[in-house]
Amino acid sequence: MTSLALLQNGLTVGAILFALGLVGILARRNLIVMFLSAELMLQGISVSLVAWSRHHGDFGGHVLVILVLTVAACEAAVALVFVLNAFARTGRLDAAAWQSLRESNLPRVVDHGLPPVDASIQRFPRLTPAGVLPAADEDAALQREHV
Amino acid sequence: MIAIALPSIAPGTLLAAAVTSAAAGLYLMLPRGQGGRRERTARWLGGLLGAVALAGFIAAGRRLGSVGEEGVFLTVSLVAVVSAAATIASRSPVYAAIWFALALLGVAGVLLVLGAQFLGVATIVVYAGAILVMFLFVLMLAQPTGMAPYDRVSNEPLLSAVAGAVMLGVLSLSIGRLSSEPPACCAVPSRAAAVASPRVDDVDAPTTAGDPLVTDQVARLGGELFGRHLLAVEVAGVLLLVALIGSIAVVARAGDHSGELAPRRAAR
Repeated sequence: MTSLALLQNGLTVGAILFALGLVGILARRNLIVMFLSAELMLQGISVSLVAWSRHHGDFGGHVLVILVLTVAACEAAVALVFVLNAFARTGRLDAAAWQSLRESNLPRVVDHGLPPVDASIQRFPRLTPAGVLPAADEDAALQREHV
Repeated sequence: MIAIALPSIAPGTLLAAAVTSAAAGLYLMLPRGQGGRRERTARWLGGLLGAVALAGFIAAGRRLGSVGEEGVFLTVSLVAVVSAAATIASRSPVYAAIWFALALLGVAGVLLVLGAQFLGVATIVVYAGAILVMFLFVLMLAQPTGMAPYDRVSNEPLLSAVAGAVMLGVLSLSIGRLSSEPPACCAVPSRAAAVASPRVDDVDAPTTAGDPLVTDQVARLGGELFGRHLLAVEVAGVLLLVALIGSIAVVARAGDHSGELAPRRAAR
């Protein structure tokens, strides 16, 4: 009974992770975030496989997860090469930069009227100056080749 | 607390409500290019709906045996799920990568609770140690200063959230219908059945991999990997080699720029 409950809870966590990755890969436009979402889906699969493995008392699920890890590493290597190439060509990490590859009957993606970035959201911490300001050695500054 | 307060609601209804509010919360939290006060309100509301959805999932889930096990499982899975949601909802891709690292820690915890010690550690080492660092490296190379416009809008956020909700609903429905009895067509001889009706030749056979919770788990996993699944290991090795050579080839070709390719070809 407990084993079944553990299986169901593990499968639920895996399903939630998979669905979140699905939403991410469908909705986001940054290529890197899309790949992160794909990795999230792989994580969901891994959790489900391990839950089944625990339920059946068999190592087959573990072996499959090791294969998933391998494929994820290969995928990341190849995909990042393609992302870098795409960035070198367009200067953007935007999936919509490649929308000339879309089907002929689909409408064009147009970004219209984005409001300016709210500066109050991005507030970075500033280090307070500490200690004594060192005295500038003017002779040394004059003798340096590059100031 | 909610689980105590809601004992009378049928689990199917609870799951449907949880899935719906998860979809609505995700739609509100995804970047939609609003900016300013409206965006912050939408994110708060989305987070609230997401918390409601999580509470629904927790209430609909089965109770594990002991309080300690339940608490640990709940903690690690909440870490995994919440940071996965933050991964796809955060505007800055660097923050998304860092949330993804936290989600990986949660997933590793879930794997540990499920009795996969080697895989939990391997997830952290391989993903957080290697793959994620590679992602961050590319991000630092390719990220423009400031927030790019394509990070502030989504591709069909409503339809994507609905697609995720449908997926999650179907999956959790079929998960809820699981029963402890295997279907009559293809009964797997599980460990419990083997213990209940011990057949001498089966129990003593060394090939029955058995319990993942044994102490020499890593050794037995290695034995399984290089025994029954040796061909898969070979295939994985070939795959790694092909990926390595392929990515080097693509990078090397991209090194001489596409603008220079055409005149050089013309010169020949």
